[in-house]
Amino acid sequence: MLRGLSGLAIAVLAGMLLLAWAAPEFSLAAPVRGSAKSSDAAESPGALDLAGQVVDPFQIAAGKPVVLIFVRTDCPISNRYAPTIQALSQKYSSTAVMMLVYPDRSESAQSIERHLHDYGYKIDALRDPRHTLVKLGEVKVTPEAAVFNRNRELVYHGRIDNWYKEFGRARSAPTTHELDDAIQAALSGQSAPASVSGVGCYISDLQ
Amino acid sequence: MNHLRFGPLRIFTIVACLVLAVGGCGSRVWSLGPNTPPANVTFNRDVAPIVYQYCSACHRPGEAAPFPLLTYQDVKKHGHQIVAVTQTRFMPPWLPEPGPLKFADERRLSDQQIATIRAWVDQGMMEGKPSDLPPKPKFVEGWQLGEPDLILKAAKPYMLPATGVDTYWNFILPLPIKETRWVRAIEIRPGDKRLVHHANILVDRYESARRMEKVPGSGFGGMEIRIESEVFDPDSHFLFWKPGTVVTNEPDGMALRLDKGTDLVLNTHLQPSGKGEAIQPSIGLYFTEKPATVHPMLLQMQNDTALDIPAGEKNFVVTDEFTLPLDVDLLGIYPHAHYLGKDILATAVLPDGTTRTLIHMKQWDLNWQAVYRYAEPVSLPRNTVITMRYVYDNSEENTANPNHPPARVRGGNRSTDEMAHLWLQVLPKNDPSQNGDPRMVLQEAWARHEVEKAPEAFEAHYNLAEMLQARGALDEAIVQFAAAAAIRPTDAVANNALGGALLAKGDLPGAVQRFNAALTAQPDYFDAHYNLGNALASQDNFGGAVEQFTEAVRLNPEDANAQANLGTALVQLGRLTEARSHYEAALRIDPTNQLARDNLQQLEQITKGTPH
Repeated sequence: MLRGLSGLAIAVLAGMLLLAWAAPEFSLAAPVRGSAKSSDAAESPGALDLAGQVVDPFQIAAGKPVVLIFVRTDCPISNRYAPTIQALSQKYSSTAVMMLVYPDRSESAQSIERHLHDYGYKIDALRDPRHTLVKLGEVKVTPEAAVFNRNRELVYHGRIDNWYKEFGRARSAPTTHELDDAIQAALSGQSAPASVSGVGCYISDLQ
Repeated sequence: MNHLRFGPLRIFTIVACLVLAVGGCGSRVWSLGPNTPPANVTFNRDVAPIVYQYCSACHRPGEAAPFPLLTYQDVKKHGHQIVAVTQTRFMPPWLPEPGPLKFADERRLSDQQIATIRAWVDQGMMEGKPSDLPPKPKFVEGWQLGEPDLILKAAKPYMLPATGVDTYWNFILPLPIKETRWVRAIEIRPGDKRLVHHANILVDRYESARRMEKVPGSGFGGMEIRIESEVFDPDSHFLFWKPGTVVTNEPDGMALRLDKGTDLVLNTHLQPSGKGEAIQPSIGLYFTEKPATVHPMLLQMQNDTALDIPAGEKNFVVTDEFTLPLDVDLLGIYPHAHYLGKDILATAVLPDGTTRTLIHMKQWDLNWQAVYRYAEPVSLPRNTVITMRYVYDNSEENTANPNHPPARVRGGNRSTDEMAHLWLQVLPKNDPSQNGDPRMVLQEAWARHEVEKAPEAFEAHYNLAEMLQARGALDEAIVQFAAAAAIRPTDAVANNALGGALLAKGDLPGAVQRFNAALTAQPDYFDAHYNLGNALASQDNFGGAVEQFTEAVRLNPEDANAQANLGTALVQLGRLTEARSHYEAALRIDPTNQLARDNLQQLEQITKGTPH
C-alpha cells in the first residue's frame, strides 16, 4: 500500500501510523517543499524525502522488510533497470517497502521528480546526500540494492540480477534474479542469496 | 518502318549494398613517454587534454553519451568509473588492435594515457593550476557542415519500448529531387543519439524496400535488409553513423550519385534506455556540381553458408579468401558479425609474400560495430590474397549470446542468426592489360568466387550472369541465369533476366517463355511486361506487344521508353493517332528521348497530308 510520497513527510513528522496515509499514486503535482540544496543536506544527518524532510525508512516500513535501490539520474545502467525496478515494486507493493535512493548530493529534488516521471517510476524516492543509507546498505554502485528483514538486518546487498556482466557487456536477458530472491528470503525468513557486486556507476565518485 | 527501334531491356541485379560517411571522435595524438604514471597528476595539466580529445565529443549535451565530460566536476563525478572503463578499454569505444596500418580518427587511448587517468584518481583527483587547463574543445552546434542543401526527415517516429532486447528499425526517406544530384557529404542525425548504436544508409534506387512497409512511411523492422541495385554502378560509399562520427566531405571526384526516384533507407540499431522513446531520424545532404570521376566500389567477402555453430562451441572458425584480379587501393573496411562473433581478423598476403593485417579485433562487439577508414589508402597489388578469419563463441561464456542455454546457430538475417561479412571499399586501378572498366573485372572475379564458394546460392549465379551479360559473354551469362532460375524456378527477377539474355541471343521462343514465367510469378512486374512486349514485337506479334506495353504503361505511366515502344507497336498495327499520343507522352516525360523523337518524326512523314 505504500505507494505515495506526497503524504509521507507529514506522516513521519507527526509520528502517525503509516499504513493509514497511503496515497493511491505518486503525484507529480505534489508541491515540493523546501529547496533540497546541498547546504541543507550537509546539515541533515539522514536521508531526505523530496520535500527535504528527514526520513527513516524503517519507521515507514513499520515492521515490513525494507528494500532500498540506489540509482542516479545520469547512470545509463541504473536507468535501463527502471522497468525491472518498477515491476519489482509492484510485485511487493503490499508486503515490503521499496524506495529509490539517490546518493548524488548535487541532484535536486526537482531533477529527481523529473527523472521519476520520465522513467515511469511510481516508487517513493529519497535523497541520501550524506550517504547514510549507502553506508547502511553497504552498496558501492548504482544500481545496487540493499534488503533488510523485519528485524532491520541487512540480508542482501548487491546487484539486482546478472543482466550486466561488466561495462558494455549485457546479456540479452538476465538469468539470475538476486534481488527478487533476496526479497522473497526476507519475507519468508529463509537465507538470502550471497551478495554479488553490481555493474554500474561508482557511488564513491559522489563523495 | 524498320527504322523503328525498341528501348533497352530492363534487368536488375541483386547486390546488397551499403553506402558512406564515417569518422570518429577527435584526432590522434600519441603519448610516447614511458608507462610510468607521473606523480602529482592533476586534472588541468594531465587529464583534461585526454578527456577533451577522446571523450568530450560524445560526452556533451545532445550527443550519444549519457553524461557530460566537459569540466573538472563532470569528470570527478565519474572518476572511478572512468578508470574502470578505460582499464578494460570499453571506453573510448575502439575495437581494432593497434597495428602498422592506421585508421582515420583513431580513438584508442595509449597505455600511458590510461595509466595517467588511474594515477589521477588514485592520487585523489586533484584539480591543479587553472593556468594548466587547455582551452575547451570547440564543437559545431547543429548541422556540422552548415545548413544542408536538402534535409530529409522520417515521416513517422518509431516508438522504442522502455525495455527489451535491442531493436533494429528501418526508415525509408524518399528523395524529393527531380534530376540526378551529386552528393559530397551526408550527415545522419539518427534521432536521440543516446539510443542509437549505429545507423547505416542504403541507397535504394528502385523503391524495393517500400514493399517491406505495412503502411507507407511507417518503416519496418529487421537487422539486415536487402536492396536491389543496378550493376556497373555499384554503390561505392559507406554511409555510416556511429557515436562521435565526424561529418566529412568526400574526396574530390568521389561524389555519390543520387537519381530521381531513389529512396534512402536508414537502418538503425536501437537500445532501450529504461523509458519509452520516440526515434525520428533525419538526414542532411550536401550537393556538389562535380560528378564522380573516380569510382570506388564495395567488395563483400562473406561465408554465411559455412555458419553452422554447434551449441556450446567456443571457437568456431569461418574463413573466406579472395584473390585480387587487379591493383586496388583499399580505402575502408567494415567487418560485420552478430552476437557470437569474437575474434575478427582480415589480412592481405601480397604477391611478394608479405602479410599485412588489415584489421584485427580481439573482442568483437556488435554494439560498437563501425566502418573504419584508413588514414592513407592501402595499396594492394594484383594477386594479393585477402583473407577474413572470424572466430565465433557460442558458449555460455559469451555474455552477448542471445540463447540461454546456447543453441545451434546458423547464418541468416535475423539478429539471432549469425553473419560473417567483410566489406572492403576499394578503388580499382586501371590496368592497360585488361579490357574494360576495372570495376567490372573486379566484380566478375568476385562473382566467380561466390559461385565457386556456394554453387547452390541463387544470388551468386545471378550476379555472375549479370557481369557476363554486361561484357557481352552472352552464352555463359545464359548458363548462369539458367542456373539461378533452376535454383528458384518461380523467381520473377531471374526469369525476366534469363528471358532478356535469350532475347539478346535471338532465342525468341525461349525468351517469351521466360518472360511469361516471370509474369506468372509476379503479374504486376513492369519490367517483364515491357520485355515481353519487346520479344513479341521481335516476333512481329504486334497485337501481343501492344497488350504488354499497354500493361507496362498502366503500371508505370511515367516511363518514357514504355510509352515510346507502345507508340511503335501501335504504328505497326496502323493505329497512328494512338501511336502519336504515346510518342508525345514519352517526350513530355523525357524531352531528350531520342527514340520517341525519331519515331515521331518518321510518323509525321508517313502521315504527312494524310488526315487522321
